[in-house]
Amino acid sequence: MWKSITGYIPGWSVCMQALIIFIVPVILTRCMLLLRAKEGKASTRGRRAEGQKGGGVPSSEDTGEAEQTSEAVKNHKIVPSTVSQKNQQPALTYTGQFQQDLQTFREISADMSDVNVRELRVGTLKLKAALFFLDGLTDKDGMDRNILRPLMNAARPFEGLDTPPDPASLKEIIVHQVVLVSEVEFTNQLDMSLKKVLFGSAVLLIEGMNEVFILGTSKGNTRSVEEPISEALLRGPRIGFTEALSDNTAMLRRHGQNTDLAMISFTVGERVEKELILTYIKGIVNDELITEITRRIHTINIDDVQESGYIEQLVEDNYLSPFQQIQNTERPDRVMAALLEGRAAILLDGTPFALIMPVTFGMLLQSPEDYYDRWFSGSLLRMLRFFAASVSLFAPALYISFLSFHPGLVPTKLAISIMSSRQGVPFPTLIEALIMEISIEILREAGLRLPKPIGPAMGIVGGLIIGQAAVEAGIVSPILVIVVAVTAISSFSVPMYSAGITLRFLRFFAMFFAATFGLYGVVLFFLLLSSHLIKLKSFGVPYLSMITPNRMSDLRDFIVRVPLQLMKRRPSLLEPKDKLRKR
Amino acid sequence: MITKAHDKITTSQATIIMVNYILVAGIFSLPRTTVQAAGTPDVWISVILGALCSMITGIIIVRLSQRFPGQTFFQYSTQITGKPVAVLLGLVIIGYFLAVSGYELRTMQEVTMFFLLEGTPAWAVAGLFLWVALYLCRGGINALSRLSRLVAPLAGAIFFGVCLLSLKVFDLDNLRPVLGEGLAPVWRGIQPTALTYTAGEALLFLVAFMDKPKRAGRVLVIGTLISMIFYLLAVVLTIGAFSVEGVVTRTWPFIDLIRSFEVNLLFERFESLLLVIWIMQIFCTFCISFYGAALGVSQIFNLKLDHCLFLLLPVAYIITEVPHNINNLFAFGTGLGNWAIVLFGLIPLPLLLIAYFRRAGS
Repeated sequence: MWKSITGYIPGWSVCMQALIIFIVPVILTRCMLLLRAKEGKASTRGRRAEGQKGGGVPSSEDTGEAEQTSEAVKNHKIVPSTVSQKNQQPALTYTGQFQQDLQTFREISADMSDVNVRELRVGTLKLKAALFFLDGLTDKDGMDRNILRPLMNAARPFEGLDTPPDPASLKEIIVHQVVLVSEVEFTNQLDMSLKKVLFGSAVLLIEGMNEVFILGTSKGNTRSVEEPISEALLRGPRIGFTEALSDNTAMLRRHGQNTDLAMISFTVGERVEKELILTYIKGIVNDELITEITRRIHTINIDDVQESGYIEQLVEDNYLSPFQQIQNTERPDRVMAALLEGRAAILLDGTPFALIMPVTFGMLLQSPEDYYDRWFSGSLLRMLRFFAASVSLFAPALYISFLSFHPGLVPTKLAISIMSSRQGVPFPTLIEALIMEISIEILREAGLRLPKPIGPAMGIVGGLIIGQAAVEAGIVSPILVIVVAVTAISSFSVPMYSAGITLRFLRFFAMFFAATFGLYGVVLFFLLLSSHLIKLKSFGVPYLSMITPNRMSDLRDFIVRVPLQLMKRRPSLLEPKDKLRKR
Repeated sequence: MITKAHDKITTSQATIIMVNYILVAGIFSLPRTTVQAAGTPDVWISVILGALCSMITGIIIVRLSQRFPGQTFFQYSTQITGKPVAVLLGLVIIGYFLAVSGYELRTMQEVTMFFLLEGTPAWAVAGLFLWVALYLCRGGINALSRLSRLVAPLAGAIFFGVCLLSLKVFDLDNLRPVLGEGLAPVWRGIQPTALTYTAGEALLFLVAFMDKPKRAGRVLVIGTLISMIFYLLAVVLTIGAFSVEGVVTRTWPFIDLIRSFEVNLLFERFESLLLVIWIMQIFCTFCISFYGAALGVSQIFNLKLDHCLFLLLPVAYIITEVPHNINNLFAFGTGLGNWAIVLFGLIPLPLLLIAYFRRAGS
């Protein structure tokens, strides 16, 4: 009796294994926490951990939020104080003494040779004046016609005046009767006026006034509107965002008449300031979402935001995740569609890529065409894309696991033909697959950089010749070449290029899992991936909420895109204010 | 008390969790265990009756949990029986949850090592599984329900598809005569279904997370009925294909059933598909019971749930490795079933009565 019980007490080896099983995740989690805490010290990102929208779980997925938050709050207290110190330096202002002001302006712009000064006399009174402008950014024709000529020719406004009028009425006369410019601002700050000059405005300084006129004449070189390269469609508007923020906002406005479209302007970047516009539709979007986005935008404290990708990385929920939690797009129609679903978008000056948030997994596999075409083809294409995405993720992994672990699970004839074609291949399947996968990734990357006329040619050389030669040389099996080619093509059928990259990159992990644990490894990789996606949130909205929704009606716009007649609700996971699209 | 009170699940989420929790490893061996006990092909009646029995005991647990809205069993049992007894009872239930998770993991390990991975060390198979499970469980009950939601349709579709194909080898005569030896074998057959059907215990903590606890009864009934369909299909089809004698001699009769026919489609044989979804299904069940155990420890000893999940990881592994061989494992399973009958069939009723007379709860 006693013996039979002691027989079940686990031995030392089992205890050691248990210890290993215990220690590995502990170490991993510790490292993760350390990384997060360090990151929390380095920036104000930690403050986002407060986000409570959606499932009600804080958006940061690990514990240790408390430390992070406190660090961040400490940091945040420091930030404004430094800013105010900067401001406390005596700001230079215009004095009203023409020569002195001109001199000071020349001094502060001494090391900027592209700032030009044009001196002139105003009208019949012959008031001394100076016009500051920038080579290249200022519209010189417009300036000559609408500012210089009227100023110099101004006779009628000054009729009956022998002495210069007082500054206030002079200002009024100039604005109301002389300059032919719609954007006029005033400032007495030298810094401010210089900043405006550097951005293309013309600044007018007139004797006796301690304020200057900022006249909007900026006209930088902009691209004309073109079809977006990264998201081409067969059907749909052929219009893409450009680098000019005002053009981009105009495109959204021109989409249709709507008084609810809000555009909130922010300035980001500590050293190089840029304009950023948060846009949403007032009656639809959830206020909590806007508060959260605004809060996160305020945490950006980088010196320069070069592209909207900076914003994306600085405000996303989990930077350790391989999946993008904010969607970038060049298409105004895509942005409008997202806004109407109750999402928000960010436009940044100087980039044609707008950001849409929050994002769910399903959106990465959807294309605007799904809605433009009839529901039937839209739904079929979506299914195709889902299938392609899973192929691009799992096909090589399945090849490895079936060939090296369970050839018995494949149909006998197929197994025999694969095996016979693999005869003479000197490598294990993993190495074989890695060789081909990596070379095709190299081809893709090289094809991207190559000049346009060479690109396709190199693709053919790479794809066909190398594939053919590798098979003939006996390095890889022809079946594998098929698998790799199908995989590569499938990964490009994902409408979002960056999502395609994620899938391709995860494919290598799947291959390693398959090489160590076979089919079991692939299943566990799938479970791991699902667990990660399930826990992932984008602005508090669960990333997988399309697949595992709380409301069944959300499924109407997931794999199957139901006819528009039946799509009556906006996605409920975004908790929009106006739930119905259609009555 | 470390509970994420805001971590709520809806009724349908709870139902999905129930289905995934009930549908366990048992489906592979259920045809054999029941037929061994009954000896006649009438075990499908036992499967139905077993579901009804488990519903009755489950209802008592639901009533009990509904008296204390927002509280798990580990929290409210102190109000019913006082601290010492409650802690003891809580520990026994935690032990049960751990044992269930260990049993599930071991079954998965055995099936995997037998059909998929010969020669891979067992601890590596279990270790990977445990780590992924830990990663999921840290996401809380919502993550569990979402994974269940993700897996369930997949599992259902493949299961029914495979069952449909297995009609090729189905022979109705193997199921006859109905009630040839009276009702006695049917009664004997109910007892082995206990392990596969024990569902009520998940409700001990599940009800606390529901946003509408009033519907817990519906969750139990629908959950049990859905999983009953799966079991019923498995039992009927297996016996129909192999007859009573054939079923008894096979270790995993249901997998053998799927292996026994070939269809010239893409795959020819379908046990790989079935194994894939069943690993996922077992993963769900494991996570749910493991989460239940960790929740219990955290609430009884006032620890962080996260820490409990880590602490229980090696314990679950050791329990997994306790049975020496597959016969031990089946004995372990039967023992668990009996344990479940005592624990969740007999104890909740007195608790409910005590709670009623002491006017504990609402």
